[in-house]
Amino acid sequence: MTTATISRARRLPRLREFGSSVATIMVKELRSRFRGRRAFVIITVYLAVLALIAYGVYAVVAPSARMQAQFGGGEFGTTFANASATIGQAVFTLLSLFQLLLVCFIAPAFTAGAISLEREKQTLDLLVTTPMRPGGIVVGKLLAALAFVGLMIVAAIPISALVLMYGGAAIDDIVRQQVVLLVTALGLGAIGLFWSALVKRTQAATVLTYATVLALTVGTVLVFIFWSVVSTRDSDNQFGTPRLAPEQLMWVNPAVAMIDVVANTEFSGYGPFSSIISGLQGGVSSSVVCEGDVCFTTDGGGAVPGGVKSLPVDVNGVVVNAGIDCPPNARCVEPRGGVAAVFDPQPITGHFWPRFAISFAALSLLLTLASMRLVVPAGMRFAFRRLRPAKAGVDPISSAEADK
Amino acid sequence: MTDLPATPIVETRGLVKRYDGELALAGIDLVIGPGEIYGLVGPNGAGKTTTMKILATLLAPTAGEALVCGIGISDDPIEVRRRIGYMPDFYGVYDDMRVWEYLDFFARCYSVPAGRRAGMIGELLEIVGLGDKRDAYVEALSRGMRQRLCLAHTLVHDPQLLILDEPASGLDPRARVDMREILRELRGMGKTILVSSHILPELAELCTSVGIIDRGRLLRSGRIEEIEQSLRATALLRIELLSDPVLAIEWLGTDHRVGDVLEVSSDGGLTRLDVPFDGSADEQAAFLRTMIEAGLVVSGFSQTTSDLEEIFLKVTGHQGNDEETAA
Repeated sequence: MTTATISRARRLPRLREFGSSVATIMVKELRSRFRGRRAFVIITVYLAVLALIAYGVYAVVAPSARMQAQFGGGEFGTTFANASATIGQAVFTLLSLFQLLLVCFIAPAFTAGAISLEREKQTLDLLVTTPMRPGGIVVGKLLAALAFVGLMIVAAIPISALVLMYGGAAIDDIVRQQVVLLVTALGLGAIGLFWSALVKRTQAATVLTYATVLALTVGTVLVFIFWSVVSTRDSDNQFGTPRLAPEQLMWVNPAVAMIDVVANTEFSGYGPFSSIISGLQGGVSSSVVCEGDVCFTTDGGGAVPGGVKSLPVDVNGVVVNAGIDCPPNARCVEPRGGVAAVFDPQPITGHFWPRFAISFAALSLLLTLASMRLVVPAGMRFAFRRLRPAKAGVDPISSAEADK
Repeated sequence: MTDLPATPIVETRGLVKRYDGELALAGIDLVIGPGEIYGLVGPNGAGKTTTMKILATLLAPTAGEALVCGIGISDDPIEVRRRIGYMPDFYGVYDDMRVWEYLDFFARCYSVPAGRRAGMIGELLEIVGLGDKRDAYVEALSRGMRQRLCLAHTLVHDPQLLILDEPASGLDPRARVDMREILRELRGMGKTILVSSHILPELAELCTSVGIIDRGRLLRSGRIEEIEQSLRATALLRIELLSDPVLAIEWLGTDHRVGDVLEVSSDGGLTRLDVPFDGSADEQAAFLRTMIEAGLVVSGFSQTTSDLEEIFLKVTGHQGNDEETAA
């Protein structure tokens, strides 16, 4: 038998071995987790809180929405055909954001002790002296935690699906919401696992995990704002044209991903969440201000020549050139006295959440791989790197048979 | 490949382990044959746990080689793990787990087929005397019971070698007796066992072979009868010298009956050496004569002996004091 056939023959068992390790760890973890009433109580409380929020939003929004539907005069001068879309949209928004908040708190909690608790309770040595490979152990731990958080998220689908009765959010919005929630749980779980594998004590791992969660959700926003302000104030930027930090910063922010999902349900791109998204995309609202005959654009375009009747705008409503009069066949707006015109560009929704999902999944993969390395006992960490082929004295076939 | 019966289950060659520059093992050469119960004896911090951890693939040696069933521990650690059952000196148990689940979990870890697990768990619990604790919670067990449960967990995959680090530590006398009975039963099952203790008599009646380890060195190793005989026959000679001790130690080293010099203390011109010596009283007298003929200025020559425990203490115990300060 050639070496090639042996290695191919051993690859499949390797995969099965990985699967059985993952299953072993998951069975053990979930058996303990679902023991007694604890898991039942956690999920019940979670669903009760979400249901309460849904009802609360309904109670607050419904009267004014009905009023608008009856008498017109929506926030942006729009009239809604009926109240239910407004209600559905509001319920969906709050449910999505609140679920994300809860997942941000819960998901890391299940993994931040996954490895460090084994170390603290001195059970890790027993575990790593079994033939299970670190990969199986780490992935098993992660999936066991995700199975529970995933159950919570999926169990809440019926509450989110309530909005389907009202309208305002469609099934694909709920699918997006679920994707963001599950990917968030995966990523934050992987972060907890990584710290748990790296740091000796659970307490330290927990603190570091939540610090990382905070850095991803709030920290990236602060950095984005700071970066944007500093580069806008750069001395070579004569007109103070807004210069934004790279939007890639926001690709790892679960809150932005969820805001992106929520913004998609807002009426034709207007609303608080849509303007956050357009703000991140560089679509700063530009306006033309006139004093008498002299008009200026506020985005640094300079003075608008006197006597200009209207200004050309792009499809998003941004003034593209304040220096010329409206060319024929162009889309234009007329400046009127005082603040002449404010042009809120339309946000491109659906931009952030897929990028978030991909980058968070990649982050999880990297952290999981790193954790695998860290689970190897400290004394063996570097010895494992050079896994030499088995010596002549060991027959790989007979040892494979010994496994069975 | 032929499976010679003589293939040792454990073989180490020049095993060295350093922790941050501190030498924990200074070259251990250990050979344990199939079916042996090998007792590793030595004071705390002698290197027993380090040796066992290396064999259990938890630590990589700084230098040297360790083979379990002919497999190098860094060549194929996974394969080594399939062949050993390891019980650490300190370990914990999982919360929220029943006794049978605990064993079932480890059986799964070792990929024991589902069909065989249930029956095997019952058998193992009978062996370690926990048959009635099947559905008890692991964290509710007493220390002795946990110890026996941990021993049972080392057996789930029917390993060839058991590595038991101080299995009787922290147990009351009754539980110690139980543990000894279980080990005896395992010996009957044909397992090779490497067991450590800091108390020699605890192991003496159980083991087929003993190794005395101290300060990272294996001072003695062999069949228990031989060790006992040699320890009994060994006299500890206290030699007082007025001449150059370096020359004297060099001269002593040429005699095969003389062991390593254990202690050197000097007081002015007088040097005191403690030396183990294999030989009868006649031989000692002859040894003294040749020593004087060799030109060593001997001012004192006396013997301190002699039972197993005392000599063990003498062989290993001289460092007991600096041991504590080091720790």
